[in-house]
Amino acid sequence: MTKKIVVFLVAVGISLVAAVHRWDDSGHAIGLIKAKGGEARHPVSLGSGNDRYMLIATAAVVPPYSGNARVELKGETQIPYTIDVARPVVDLGIRHLPRFSDGTLHDLRPHDRVALWVKMNPPKADPVCGMACEEGYERADYRGKTYCFCGEGCRKAFEQDPEKYRDRDGLRGNYTLAFTDTKTGRPVLNVPIRFTGKGGTGDGNEHQH
Amino acid sequence: MATNTSTKGSFWSRYRTWIIVAGIVLFLPPLSLLFQMTADSNFCGSWCPRMFFTWRKGMSIHEFLLGFLRSYMGVALVVGILASTFFLGRAWCSHLCPIGGTMELGSRIVPRWLKIDFSSIPASPFRYGYLAVYLIASAVGLGSLCCNYCNFATVPRVFGAAFLDADLMYFLRTAGLINLGLVVVLGFLSKGGRAYCNLLCPVGALDALSNRLGLRFGRKMRVDAAQCDSCGACSKVCPTWSISVHSAATIDHLSCMPCRQCEKVCPKNAIAYGRPA
Repeated sequence: MTKKIVVFLVAVGISLVAAVHRWDDSGHAIGLIKAKGGEARHPVSLGSGNDRYMLIATAAVVPPYSGNARVELKGETQIPYTIDVARPVVDLGIRHLPRFSDGTLHDLRPHDRVALWVKMNPPKADPVCGMACEEGYERADYRGKTYCFCGEGCRKAFEQDPEKYRDRDGLRGNYTLAFTDTKTGRPVLNVPIRFTGKGGTGDGNEHQH
Repeated sequence: MATNTSTKGSFWSRYRTWIIVAGIVLFLPPLSLLFQMTADSNFCGSWCPRMFFTWRKGMSIHEFLLGFLRSYMGVALVVGILASTFFLGRAWCSHLCPIGGTMELGSRIVPRWLKIDFSSIPASPFRYGYLAVYLIASAVGLGSLCCNYCNFATVPRVFGAAFLDADLMYFLRTAGLINLGLVVVLGFLSKGGRAYCNLLCPVGALDALSNRLGLRFGRKMRVDAAQCDSCGACSKVCPTWSISVHSAATIDHLSCMPCRQCEKVCPKNAIAYGRPA
């Protein structure tokens, strides 16, 4: 009996650690596509600092909406991304499935459900001001890692207190996976995405540009 | 004590492997036939059998019930599994589940020296420790095991990744790789291929309760203690390590599924599938 209690408690402990820990390189959003604009149930929060992120966005089409919806990742900084739609390998044609091509969901009909996999590869950011790294930015190495700086001011601020800015080179800020009806140009679903991390969300304002 | 009429030669016993293969073909990519009936492509969506019964902190009753509607086929599946288990034992787990079936069939082609024997872990306490956290952690807002650790999400994508980028993407993230690791270690590499089912499946944990509750009424694996000579052959082949042998073999019905492996190897025909005597 004692062994069983111990095993139960060990299982609870391991499971608790697993449940509490968040894998911050992926997120799942559930939303509704509506003619008058749908919202995701809750924003997706991703930890900054990774090279690659995966967002799974599932949505159902609420009647009476039907049409084509362009899907784009929008935000202050352009993040390279690709979108793939989950579908059967062999479509037996039993039920209607919207098509996805050229960044657009085609022929959405009431009660359709879609599941999109969005792979995002955000650029590294200036650890001081949060601006996305671009070619021509100054670089500096610290503890085996290369950081970029938009200008002299940020580089000096980093050099004065590198520990403060260490590992803050992940892109931060608010983004949206926007579904827009191609005919009316109106949003039919917005999925908010937050890249959070050391320094907080969208804190690219320590150094004003 | 059971009336021991051998069921070794029955259809469900003889053709179990082929029934599992049929379940895999019907449920999993590339065909995904049953999912396509509801415009799905895998268990994630209206067929999800795990998410609807988890309560998340801050959720209204309306949202909780909407989860039942969203996963209506998953609800029907779980209700069907629990009801059939009460009367027939865990036939879903042993014969029909394409996820457990894939892991078991996969484990059969893994060389014996690579297999990991998890039978020293008391399965029921571990399983219900996991289930407790599965239900409570999300209800109190501590986090969630649901979706983050799910072989029902992983195994179909193991098949689909060969064909679709969307399924491949599942594994291009930490959670996907961890899930794959769990399926490999607790499935393909485990002795019998059913350690995941036995330790970490929340539906299996509920199903086991139904099995135990139906013990006095339904068809289950039963031991005729008078015929048993305690040779232990049954215990060695049980994929869910649910048989212990002392003066006679006894079956833990919180772990047993009627895979009939024990029945096949019993030299005394002391184990059979049937109603209580």
